[in-house]
Amino acid sequence: MKLAELQTDFQRALFDTECKGADWISESARGLSARNRLDIYYNAYRLRLIDVLLDTFEHTAIYLGDDWFNQLAAGYVQSHYSTYNNIGLYGKKFPQFLAEQLPEDKEVSELALMDWKLRRAFDGIDSSVMTLDDLQQLASEGNTIRLQSVPTLTTCTQHFNTLDIWHAINQDQTPPVVERLTQPIDILIWRKQYSPHFRSLSAIESAALASLASADSLEAIGAALENDFPDADVATEFGVILHRWLDDEIISNVKRGRRD
Amino acid sequence: MTSGFGLGLRTQHYNDFLAEPQPVEWLEVISDNYMVDGGKPLAMLDKIRANYPMVMHGVSMSIGSINGLDKEYLRKLKTLERRVEPMWVSDHLCWSGVHGRNLHDLLPLPYTQEALQIVKRNVEQAQEVLQRPLVLENVSSYVEYESSEMTEWEFLTEVCQATGCRLLLDINNIYVSSFNHDFSPSSFIEGVPVESVTQFHLAGHLNKGDHLIDTHDHPVCDDVWDLYRQALLHFGYVPTMIERDDNIPPLPELIAELDMARAIADDVLNEKKVAL
Repeated sequence: MKLAELQTDFQRALFDTECKGADWISESARGLSARNRLDIYYNAYRLRLIDVLLDTFEHTAIYLGDDWFNQLAAGYVQSHYSTYNNIGLYGKKFPQFLAEQLPEDKEVSELALMDWKLRRAFDGIDSSVMTLDDLQQLASEGNTIRLQSVPTLTTCTQHFNTLDIWHAINQDQTPPVVERLTQPIDILIWRKQYSPHFRSLSAIESAALASLASADSLEAIGAALENDFPDADVATEFGVILHRWLDDEIISNVKRGRRD
Repeated sequence: MTSGFGLGLRTQHYNDFLAEPQPVEWLEVISDNYMVDGGKPLAMLDKIRANYPMVMHGVSMSIGSINGLDKEYLRKLKTLERRVEPMWVSDHLCWSGVHGRNLHDLLPLPYTQEALQIVKRNVEQAQEVLQRPLVLENVSSYVEYESSEMTEWEFLTEVCQATGCRLLLDINNIYVSSFNHDFSPSSFIEGVPVESVTQFHLAGHLNKGDHLIDTHDHPVCDDVWDLYRQALLHFGYVPTMIERDDNIPPLPELIAELDMARAIADDVLNEKKVAL
């Protein structure tokens, strides 16, 4: 039997819905049968990937309970191959899978997406961060200032009280009853030093972040906010937001200022 | 040549290594855990590396894959190698998936001339990128193939002789495979080239009665200690480490287990000197 055929068959046997054995495995005089030997690899493949999902989606697993989570995880493993060398990336499509499997319980996929993004922030790209002194220096040079967020920064939108559920699980408390929010909220996720952080965003901060991502200048962000939030004291609010961004270490120290 | 005894660096022990010097001469890191973009893993690696020599041990190279090696994986491995400056870089004699899919397991190869050519090709590719000899570890296995034409140790010997790669002998894996496939572990030890052996792993396994599972979640058992004695008698001193991957105990327990390896090595190597 050629190696290509053996490896393809072996892989197919592990992906199959049941372990059926293989005639290219030697039957030995003692110990396990060939079928039971293959079964060791068949089961290990599933257990290993389910363990990775349990580790990555820790809050989701606690929310669902062991039995339900394991059942869903087993379904994901059966329907999704890993194409990653880094096993930690295997759960990338798990939040979407949960959304499809549990259309009436969308808070579950929201919780899973939060677990996923926090985990990705943990070992995301490093970046030096801008301080207030750095920003003042740029401003004093008369530059048009364009800021850039740190590479780990990301957001997700929640339609349910998923954030409260996450906090309750994290504090080992009973999660609140799920409720749809009157308005969806955006959640900001990033890494500060070694630890992933998150917090909810106001509508005005969410809009400011969207402008930041488009590499708009500070002046342009302010003007857009004035336009979008005519009733707000944008100058004050944006000043507070900017200070908070610096305190939270979400602005990269990549110099984006330039003279126009 | 590195002397001394090492441990696998695990996240549970970061603080122990950062807090004060530990009686460990070197550390082995799982390469794949640090082939990430940034954050705490790489920061801890750099801090601990400042005080301990390291070796890199990978689990995803898939050196026996018919598809050849993943160039992006090799590029990231080389980047990490430049950062760590390890004493050597190891992975396993196995395959982990084909056609772009990853089974995340260390699957045994059939020991055939065809597989030998593929492994040789892949080892040469890895060594070309790393610019150093690759160190290959024998895996525990639960299946043997109808198509095999030689023993595992004959296959390893051929790979070493053809490519100049070296060997990480996992004493526990030899024991587990010898039990599961009913061969003499001494034949394995006596069958590989002495000059190629660069490192020993010692680990625990799970005894299921009619077969053994390589779990790395137990202390080293007496039979594996006995096999370690045999290996020391045959190979002489080889850098040795305890490899625990699950059910990880407090660091002092692992250091006590490592002290056991030290005591056995002292005992065996002194006896060997007297005999000479």
